[in-house]
Amino acid sequence: MHTLIQGLILGVLTGGVYALMASGQTLIFGVMKVVNLAQGAFVIASAYLAFTLFTQFGIDPLVAVLITTPLMFGIGVVGHWVFLRPLRREDASELSLLVTFALALLIEGILSVSYHTTYRSINTSYSNHSFEVGGYVVSAVRLYGFIVSCALLILLYIILQKTSFGRAIRATVQNPQSATLLGVDSTRVKAYGFGLGISTAAASGSIFGLLFPFNSGSHYDLISRLLSVVVLGGLGSIGGAVLAGVIIGVVSSVAAVIWSPTWSEMTFFIVLLLVLLIRPQGMFGRVERGAL
Amino acid sequence: MNNNRLSSGWLKKAPVVAVVGATLILLSACSASTSPKATTSTKPLVIGISLSLTGDFADPGTAVKKGYELWAEQVNAKGGVLGRQVSLKIVDDLSTPTQVVTNYQNLISRDKVDLVFGPFSSLLTVPASQVANRYKYAFIESAGGGPRVFAQKLGNLFFIQPGPVVKQGDVFADYILGLPAADRPKTAAYPSLDDPFAQPIAANIQTRFEAAGIKTVYSGTYPAETPDLTPIMTKAIAKKPDVIVSGTQSLDAYQQVKALIQLHYNPKWLYMSNGANSPTEFPSKVGIKNVEGVFSSGDWFPSSTATGSADFIKAYIAKYGGDATKIDNSSVEAYAAGQLVELIAAKTGKIDNATIITTLHSGKWDTILGPLSWDSSGAPQGSYLLVQWLQGALKPVYPASVAQASPLAAKPNWGG
Repeated sequence: MHTLIQGLILGVLTGGVYALMASGQTLIFGVMKVVNLAQGAFVIASAYLAFTLFTQFGIDPLVAVLITTPLMFGIGVVGHWVFLRPLRREDASELSLLVTFALALLIEGILSVSYHTTYRSINTSYSNHSFEVGGYVVSAVRLYGFIVSCALLILLYIILQKTSFGRAIRATVQNPQSATLLGVDSTRVKAYGFGLGISTAAASGSIFGLLFPFNSGSHYDLISRLLSVVVLGGLGSIGGAVLAGVIIGVVSSVAAVIWSPTWSEMTFFIVLLLVLLIRPQGMFGRVERGAL
Repeated sequence: MNNNRLSSGWLKKAPVVAVVGATLILLSACSASTSPKATTSTKPLVIGISLSLTGDFADPGTAVKKGYELWAEQVNAKGGVLGRQVSLKIVDDLSTPTQVVTNYQNLISRDKVDLVFGPFSSLLTVPASQVANRYKYAFIESAGGGPRVFAQKLGNLFFIQPGPVVKQGDVFADYILGLPAADRPKTAAYPSLDDPFAQPIAANIQTRFEAAGIKTVYSGTYPAETPDLTPIMTKAIAKKPDVIVSGTQSLDAYQQVKALIQLHYNPKWLYMSNGANSPTEFPSKVGIKNVEGVFSSGDWFPSSTATGSADFIKAYIAKYGGDATKIDNSSVEAYAAGQLVELIAAKTGKIDNATIITTLHSGKWDTILGPLSWDSSGAPQGSYLLVQWLQGALKPVYPASVAQASPLAAKPNWGG
């Protein structure tokens, strides 16, 4: 029982980080109907940025989020302008799969040349610290990462719910034509929406770099997890992505503790398959899709 | 029409061609008969090598390249091998098995290199060694020691490390089982990476420990893509094992240590097959304060007293900079491959593939990795060194013949 609860704690904390990563992914899908295959690569690029800021300038990766987030927002807006805006045809959604995959490969290539393929990890003074609460161990990095993820998810919620920009995004998600007729500049909203989605990769990257070793090829594994989380939660639903992120964290952690690590990944995909069989639109796909 | 014209032209020129041809044949026969040795001794000894300079194995592939190039530079400065300057023809295989096959085929059949050295990884060594075997080339290779390599039972292959990789942990089992029964661990956990170079090492130790009565409280493997090892280590330590034997590569070793520190668990003995044997990466990834007492094994360390080790370190630093702790073992193993060529030439007075294959199958060969010998499948017959982190440095502690310090029996606490 002790091991099980320990696994549960680990799972919830790790799941929070997946939730943040997936929220950007699902936001981009909601606004643009683009399955962004480069989201994992942006997370890894952010992890490298945090690594450089830490090793070269001594900036803590969690503080570096203040620098990397606006930077990734800018890169996202420019990336949209260069790579996605030109796709004006009816099959833009399908083409965007290829474009974002190419973008992921481009990012991977740049990172491979700049940092080589050696695995990197960010080791801060608190990397190995942990707190003991009632006999259970809570890793400091996971706890801080979870807190930052929650704070950023709340900030994302406020931006979407309480600002005119957020209203424009939600209007574009619900009905792009009507939003345009009501004066929403949909091109600009899409660019900023893409930028906002990519900016979540900044904090995710810092936390990912603190938790796990990474190299330029780490995005393949990451994107498969993120897509699974987004599909499980329901494409376009941020609430669904958050819940699904926590589910993936808990299921894989508890399965590893109770059965075997080999089962850990498989169990998650079994849950994913079951949800898709019962609710093909994902947990929140029908209810919240288009209602960010 | 054209063919007819061409043939009639050739017929007209035939007497001239015949005279010129005969003259050339006579001239070449004369020159060959007057100075055969001069022709062969000045011809460079071309060694063809396919290496992973890009792709997944780019970093270790580059380390191997450094070792080969350093050896070539040194041997050329000494006058070459039997008076022939060594010329390395290195081509990139992109870390792929298909390209490595093309490369060796081109090196042997098109470029007609004199010898070949092996690529990086067992994945590439298996197909590459088959190409070399087909052309009856000796295949001296320093980075392909997986079971599949030796299962081919190729007579032309020689793996330049002290033993097959899966035997790497035997030296830890020897050390533990050599302790008085009362001092041995009672329980053991074996968390291992699902990898042919990691899990079998721990499994070999587990078999010997169980036979000696050390109870297994956890044994499990995790896939290579597992990002988070904390849940696995949570389970591995649930029954508080005395010894943890980890079949690891590199990343997972760092992750295991981090998980153990965060879970506040310190076993009395911790052996990690790989990862913990990296003089620079391990302390940089887990923190120098957390390395004390961790065991691992390997074939060469900067403090080695083996033949040519000190000279190698000096030459390496002069050529590539840095310090001895930054030297990758892949460079050392590649360098040892070159040393063997020199040794064979010195012993036999010849350097060709048939001589290499026949000669290396007998006797012991003293290299920078210590004495090496092989069975008929190319598997080395020696054993690795057991090393332990002591006062922030990696030191050989077993067997006693090569030990530079005594093994520390109970691992100090993390951070201490």
